[in-house]
Amino acid sequence: MMLLEHHAKELLASVGVTIPEGVLLTAESLNQTIVNLALPYMAKAQVPVGGRGKAGGILKIKSQADLGPAVEKILGMTIRNHPVRSCRLEAMVDYVSEAYFSLAFDPDSGTIKILAAAEGGVEIESPEMREKLLQVSAPADPAQAALAMETLIALLPDHLRTIFCQVAARLIPLFFEKEALLIEINPLFITRDGGWIAGDAKILTDDNALSRQKEMRALIEMHPDLYPEASLKLAQGFDFVRLDPDGDIGLVTTGAGLSMQLVDEIIQRGHRPFNFCDIRTGGFKGDPSRLIQVLKWVASGPNVRSVLMNFFAGNTNLAELVPLILLALKEVPELRQPITLRMTGNGLEAARVILAESGNPIHVETDLERAVDRALAVAGEAAHA
Amino acid sequence: MLNAFIEPGIPVLVQGATGRSGRSQTAQMVEYGTNIVAGVSRRDDEQAKLPLFRNCTEAVSATGARASVAFVPPLDVLPAILEAIDAGIELIVTVAEGVPVHDALKAKAATREAGIRWVGASTPGLAIPGKLKMGFLPNVSLAPGSLGVMSKSGTLSYEVCYRLVERGFGQTLWVGVGGDAVKGVRFADLVPIFAADPATQGIVVVGEIGGSEEEELAEALIASGCKKPVFALLAGRSALEGVTMGHAGALIQANVGTIETKTAALRKAGAEVSQTIKDLVDMVGATLGHTLV
Repeated sequence: MMLLEHHAKELLASVGVTIPEGVLLTAESLNQTIVNLALPYMAKAQVPVGGRGKAGGILKIKSQADLGPAVEKILGMTIRNHPVRSCRLEAMVDYVSEAYFSLAFDPDSGTIKILAAAEGGVEIESPEMREKLLQVSAPADPAQAALAMETLIALLPDHLRTIFCQVAARLIPLFFEKEALLIEINPLFITRDGGWIAGDAKILTDDNALSRQKEMRALIEMHPDLYPEASLKLAQGFDFVRLDPDGDIGLVTTGAGLSMQLVDEIIQRGHRPFNFCDIRTGGFKGDPSRLIQVLKWVASGPNVRSVLMNFFAGNTNLAELVPLILLALKEVPELRQPITLRMTGNGLEAARVILAESGNPIHVETDLERAVDRALAVAGEAAHA
Repeated sequence: MLNAFIEPGIPVLVQGATGRSGRSQTAQMVEYGTNIVAGVSRRDDEQAKLPLFRNCTEAVSATGARASVAFVPPLDVLPAILEAIDAGIELIVTVAEGVPVHDALKAKAATREAGIRWVGASTPGLAIPGKLKMGFLPNVSLAPGSLGVMSKSGTLSYEVCYRLVERGFGQTLWVGVGGDAVKGVRFADLVPIFAADPATQGIVVVGEIGGSEEEELAEALIASGCKKPVFALLAGRSALEGVTMGHAGALIQANVGTIETKTAALRKAGAEVSQTIKDLVDMVGATLGHTLV
């Protein structure tokens, strides 16, 4: 999970990194928050992707009167498909130069990659800037990473060496303790007095480590509204992502890869999936509650006209799954959209009998292509009705 | 020769053999024909049909097991791998979903140092159809044939192989490398294996957004000079940047691991990149159709 800048900076501050003074605002807290920042200051959209400055998600607040409209504008934005749910107000920083620092892992070699540059800023991705990046790799171990960092520091200009020693001493232990996947500080502001301030921060944490990373877990639990996907995964044990609020196809599917592929193919055919879903039938254990939850969300899509369920029972059994689907449908009477159920694999014939006996009018296909054809045709007809 | 990677009769032990899924999956692997020689568990199990041992070293010295498949919870995967390494296991498959990346980094370093093959962190495993199955690739998608299959996603590869099998195209070897960001065996590692195997007439790649594994695969294909047809399907064209879509590895960050970079790299290496499952299946049929009996 990519931490929002505000939370990433708070985490950095907890290990002694200087950050600009700032406060987080949401639509709910806007009127109750007292802002003590000296004018002018910045209002920054909080989204888990880069490029928000270019998208207009960073505004300068020059007078108290600017604040309301600026925050309102930012909270109404969608940046690279991410609705902006919060905004950080932040003091301006007086700096003499911008540097760059990041710690990440290299999936291929399984090592830690440390990058640093005497110049940073938003153009770090440009080829000229990339050339100026200094890079070292180290085994995934804090002591070895610290050792590698020393060789990198030796290559930096004199005035930055002490600063990067401090950067390394704080961030390398943090990376390992919090099981981060990425820590990037860009820009890393160098101040007139030789100090340094984290101007922006990207921290990517590992969802798989949440069971032993209590602090990260608490952060998600405290802000389910700001981390909806991670919060859901933590609470329910499966993935559900709202892709398109106006989508016409609701998906109840299992498996990350196949569900992604279905989303791709449906979009390619001119329809708009409301959601992505990896419901994980293996985790049902005879309980329909995941299905009930997903059906409720799908039913809540204002433009959902057709529901596609896909279950390839390679290791599960359809005769156990279908009764759960029937139970779940009873609990979600508001789901009135026609359902196309594609099922194939273990227990198919027994599952067909159970469905027939229930009298439920779900349309069954065993072939995925035909199921998609039918689900899209139903949505098309409903749209023209 | 596939034997350089896995032999059909290799003696296999099961770590976590007495757990709920470990027990049922072990029975299914035995039924499939896998030479399962031992189970490893801290617990006794009166229902166990296999000789049970307290640790891998005991199991290896008593039975000669050379490979392991671990049905243990995600936080126990790293200790299981280290135990298997100590026992001298040559190849280990781990199936648990949700292994922390920092554990996978340690496992990768340890398996690499020991010179052993690790299929994981989280995968449905591998199979030589009709002969061996380590993990739980579904029987309906498996059939002996002429395709070498490598896949990140379990479910998508089940669907793809199921349809290929329906059309008469089975597999020589299928390795699910998994959707994790940090893993043991990667796509590129399988290129020399499939390239050198005379029975493998085509390679099917079930990839997805995120990371750079498909790009590495393309480089490995070019470097190997492998002239076998390669058919790729890449999921996640429409995934949201910055959000994890089910697989930890499928997180795209700015300009890295996009469908565009992967498609371009694979096409440059001569691979057919399909946008739909149907197109991939049709492409395999059109290219290798003459081998159908």
